[in-house]
Amino acid sequence: MNRSVRLSRWRASGSKGIAVGRIAWRQQLAYKTDFVLRASFLLLILFVFEQLWSAAYGGDFAKEIGGFTLKQIVWYLVFTEALTMAVPPLAARIEEEVKNGDIAVRLTRPISYVGYHYASYMAEAAFRFLVHLAVGSLIAWPFVGAPAFGAGWAGLLILSVGALSVLFLLNAIVALSAFWVEETSGLSFVLSKLQFTVGGMLLPLDLMPEWLQRVCAWLPFQAALYFPARAGVQADSAELLRDLAIQAAWLIALSAIVMFIYRRGVRKLHVNGG
Amino acid sequence: MRALTTSGLSKTFKVKRKPEGLSGSFRSLFKPEWEEKAAVQAIDLAVDQGETVAFLGPNGAGKSTTIKMLTGILHPTSGEANVAGFVPWKDRARLAFRIGTVFGQKSQLWYHLPPIDTFELISRVYELKRTDYLTRQRDLIERFELGPYLHTPVRKLSLGERMRCEIAASFLHRPRLLFLDEPTIGLDVVVKQRIRELIRERNRQEETTVFLTSHDAGDVEELCSRVIVIHHGGMLLDEPVERVKRDVLSRKTIKLTLTEAADRTSFPVVTGTEVHAVEDRRLILSVDLKQIGIEEALGGFLGRVRIEDLTVEDPPLEEIIKHIYGMRASGEGSA
Repeated sequence: MNRSVRLSRWRASGSKGIAVGRIAWRQQLAYKTDFVLRASFLLLILFVFEQLWSAAYGGDFAKEIGGFTLKQIVWYLVFTEALTMAVPPLAARIEEEVKNGDIAVRLTRPISYVGYHYASYMAEAAFRFLVHLAVGSLIAWPFVGAPAFGAGWAGLLILSVGALSVLFLLNAIVALSAFWVEETSGLSFVLSKLQFTVGGMLLPLDLMPEWLQRVCAWLPFQAALYFPARAGVQADSAELLRDLAIQAAWLIALSAIVMFIYRRGVRKLHVNGG
Repeated sequence: MRALTTSGLSKTFKVKRKPEGLSGSFRSLFKPEWEEKAAVQAIDLAVDQGETVAFLGPNGAGKSTTIKMLTGILHPTSGEANVAGFVPWKDRARLAFRIGTVFGQKSQLWYHLPPIDTFELISRVYELKRTDYLTRQRDLIERFELGPYLHTPVRKLSLGERMRCEIAASFLHRPRLLFLDEPTIGLDVVVKQRIRELIRERNRQEETTVFLTSHDAGDVEELCSRVIVIHHGGMLLDEPVERVKRDVLSRKTIKLTLTEAADRTSFPVVTGTEVHAVEDRRLILSVDLKQIGIEEALGGFLGRVRIEDLTVEDPPLEEIIKHIYGMRASGEGSA
């Protein structure tokens, strides 16, 4: 394939992705009750944690624990929660498609299967992420003050794109296992608990024991939650670049794994039927 | 020009055999036993561009496996196929631009959004040129009379309205070949009729080849010019609809509800009319149209019993197929 043909294929795929993203975004607007429910749940969680951390800091706004002030830790939680709760139930969706045969219909369309899911996932996730940020601010702002973290916001937003993509790929690995196993909910459960802990959702990794931090450094989960949230509250351009590089490396590695699993899965579908 | 050809198309699945009981499940975990199951056996098809073919068979006959191979989702175990110029399983992505699929029980429309949004998405996915898409969209909206529903969320449409949108959507990219799976399932008679007309019209105007599976004899009769029946994975019959109609679709089922219970002996003997079943006040008649008209057959009964309600139906397709199968087995039928 020569370069211009390849370029135009890429452009076509890109514009398909945008079209899928746009319609997925619009569909999101229809789920109003779902949003209200999630938002109230988020308010509740953040309120509880805000109380907890206030107690841990003894209400002292100048005190630092593991390098974080009370204000930073509460906003850190807002960011990790907003990201975690932004992720659509990808595994449940793909499992459903495999079970009810919708996957056969999808495969007869001129659009990549994984690409389709990525586009619709990202549109949904971005939408929910922004809503959750706004909702989270309702708790954090009055209790610990405005999120004045300088360039932190830029770091948060830049790293969040990669973070949501890493979360997509991790979820896709679980989701595509639906080609072989009947149930993916067990694996999904494990994945989400790993995010809560070694991903740094509840606690910044800096607050964990030394040995655990060393383990976490070798896992993809930190790139999904800890990086963007930490960058949000502690802007540091050198660290931002390092985080971006690590994220990029994980994106490449996980994409390769997802494509490998997908190809094996589709071939299995080819040979054995849906 | 051929729209579709296959020769010796076959598919065998490996199915895991699980012995009974817990110990059996345990054993199969470590030492699974595989069984070969032939889903499709040596199917030869040749369908011309613009033909309308009904592809029939009882559940489990291999219809959907065949269609999956023709759309490129499944690899055959052996045999060849060419669909719209492509070997489906080798060129699925390029074939996708040439074919369309409509599944009566699945929806391609986004549930919470108006149909026009899905149309827009389809135009992007199929890489339609902007101006072409807009003209095409306008034409189809007019022909399918979708104007009033275009901006209503799909969840608020009736099944009939939704199906019209589904089918219009599948014509947007001008497929050369359209696979329709139970396109009229669950619809009322009037809507069924309308949907069939619309598909027929597209077929006439654009030479779209139609490959239909259905359990509704009406779909077959009114939409298709040719019938292919498969059974146990193999070809059972491949004939013009006219001929099948003459041979086997010549029977109608009349269901009567009587005002009072009647017994078999009180029924008149009418030529070409069989009493199929009697149950309390319900009476089912089978009428052979080659021998007698519906009106005459009914007339024979009218004076003798008091009728509260009646319906005239095509016999279920399963029955027709059984009939064909019976004919084949006893060597009556002609190839």
